[in-house]
Amino acid sequence: MIEAVLGLLAILVLAFVRIPIALSMGIVGIIGYAYMRDWTWGAAFATAQTKIYETGRNYALSVVPLFILMGNLVTRAGMSQELFRAAYAFIGHLRGGLAMATIVACGGFGAICGSSIATAATFAKVAYPSMKQYGYSDALATGAIASGGTLGILIPPSTIMVIYGIMTNTNIGKLFAAGILPGILAVVLLCLAVQFVTWRDPKAGPPGRRMPWRERFATLDGVAWFVALGIAIIAVVQFGWVAGDDAAVVGALVVFALSLFYKGVTSVIALFTLVMGGIYGGVFTATEGAGVGAVGALVFALARRALDWRSLYAALLESARTTSMLFLILIGALMFAEFVNITTMPKDLIAFITRWQVSPVMVVAAIMVIYVLLGTAMEELSMILLTVPVFFPLIVHLGLDPIWFGVLIVVVVEIGLISPPVGMNLFVLKTLLPQVSTTTVFRGVLPFFTADCVRLALLIAFPILSLWLPGMMR
Amino acid sequence: MSEPQTKWERRVDAALGIAASLILFLMMLLTFVDVVARYLFNFPLRGGFEVTELMLLVLIFAGLPLVSHADEHVTMDFIDRVLAEGARRRVVRVVHGICAAVMFFLTWQVWIKADRISGYGDTTDVLRITIGPFVYFMALMILLTGLVHAYKVLRPGEAPASQATS
Repeated sequence: MIEAVLGLLAILVLAFVRIPIALSMGIVGIIGYAYMRDWTWGAAFATAQTKIYETGRNYALSVVPLFILMGNLVTRAGMSQELFRAAYAFIGHLRGGLAMATIVACGGFGAICGSSIATAATFAKVAYPSMKQYGYSDALATGAIASGGTLGILIPPSTIMVIYGIMTNTNIGKLFAAGILPGILAVVLLCLAVQFVTWRDPKAGPPGRRMPWRERFATLDGVAWFVALGIAIIAVVQFGWVAGDDAAVVGALVVFALSLFYKGVTSVIALFTLVMGGIYGGVFTATEGAGVGAVGALVFALARRALDWRSLYAALLESARTTSMLFLILIGALMFAEFVNITTMPKDLIAFITRWQVSPVMVVAAIMVIYVLLGTAMEELSMILLTVPVFFPLIVHLGLDPIWFGVLIVVVVEIGLISPPVGMNLFVLKTLLPQVSTTTVFRGVLPFFTADCVRLALLIAFPILSLWLPGMMR
Repeated sequence: MSEPQTKWERRVDAALGIAASLILFLMMLLTFVDVVARYLFNFPLRGGFEVTELMLLVLIFAGLPLVSHADEHVTMDFIDRVLAEGARRRVVRVVHGICAAVMFFLTWQVWIKADRISGYGDTTDVLRITIGPFVYFMALMILLTGLVHAYKVLRPGEAPASQATS
């Protein structure tokens, strides 16, 4: 037990003096492993070799760069603009309507992009100018964007879910499905937070322009075709005229063709259906879904003429660099996990829980409190990778569902991303909107932070919210 | 990049960048074609996943020197607020030194692994691609990453702290 705790502390010390966190984990992992094997360095080095090589050459992991690429392509394809316009047309005229439209549009964007930072950065450019135009307070505007941005990793696809799934051998497709309902819950709760803010101070979020219904539905151009197609496919399969798989493939192709004609929300729905429908329906694996999604995003971006060679290269290069950076962290974390696994820590924790008869829900709640506290100071992904080897055996021992735990982890990461002082999304907004002061951003995010904590509590109390959809998968 | 770069820095950066981008693009196409070929033409690509695996390996390790060069490794920056600028620069140099040492150590280890894999003449199962050269490539890229850090001991640049992972 004591060795693992010392190891964790050593990593924090190394990271504190600015050593990249990936290397901190790797160094401690190797030295700790050698120590546990009575200083047989040979064994530790052999483990290091194997971890580097096996992590690099692993088919399942190719899902990571492909989803990152998909996100980087849709970010450049201008879909965020269209989503915001549609959400604005429907709810923009309500009190705080633009902030709610931002959150709804972020949720929609999260359905095709797996990164919170990219989502927040995109909407800082798309939604902030509109909100300023209607006289929104900077606090509400930045709070809505920062918290809406976190939906990027909860609503599938999601890089955090992919990495958690790989670390713990949990089915990535099921994790994705598990994020959908909590994502909708998140949108609702964040909108309630907007309502709370504007109820206290109506001037913070005045209503936008009311649009006639004709104009509202114009933003949904093509969605009718889409619905018709969905009904037709279900009917065809129900009556047994065509096999489910074939219908899905034909459907996917038609959807693709349709969405090339209709811009706007249709293409977002199409891309999401293509990827998630394929994974959920068992047509392809998460890895293949990522490849299909990336190609889909590329085709959409090209069809909108939003992509020239230069920006395509930028998207590819950015994705490649992010991939290398993530994999180094992953390799470091895996080495550290090797060390933790041969210490007595996981067993001791289980013994402790058994001895004191702590109820499973209390254990999960305690872990989540630790995460929320740690997340205010630490970079979130590293925090998860560092602690999953310690906590995960406990979850399995208690008979809790790893998919549910995965969703909870994503939610704590979301909270960490908007909690001062080092929430990454706040940092992104400060960089993109230098005119807004740090204090304003911190103040603005508080109501949303509270809403997120309420959501976390709800998800802990009602696991069915996360587990219902994945339970219906094949 | 605020700092002027030498011609060599730019050239290596561009070469690796283009290589990594190209590999990623091909990986995307291969995965897509694999799915389409299987469902539409009932013709799965033989050994497609083996190629993807090796491409992933090249992608990750070709990108590594780029990440180090751009100072994009995730780093905690609390200490920056405590230290004076001069002290901060010294810390950054020492950290680059440590990073270089770790990378050189890993080069040595991966090289041993590469020797062993080449020695056995390991190949992939279906397409019989020789794996050895890829592992040597890994070692070389880690070596290059170490050299980037060693270079930065002398010229640390701005060394911003990055935390952008999710």
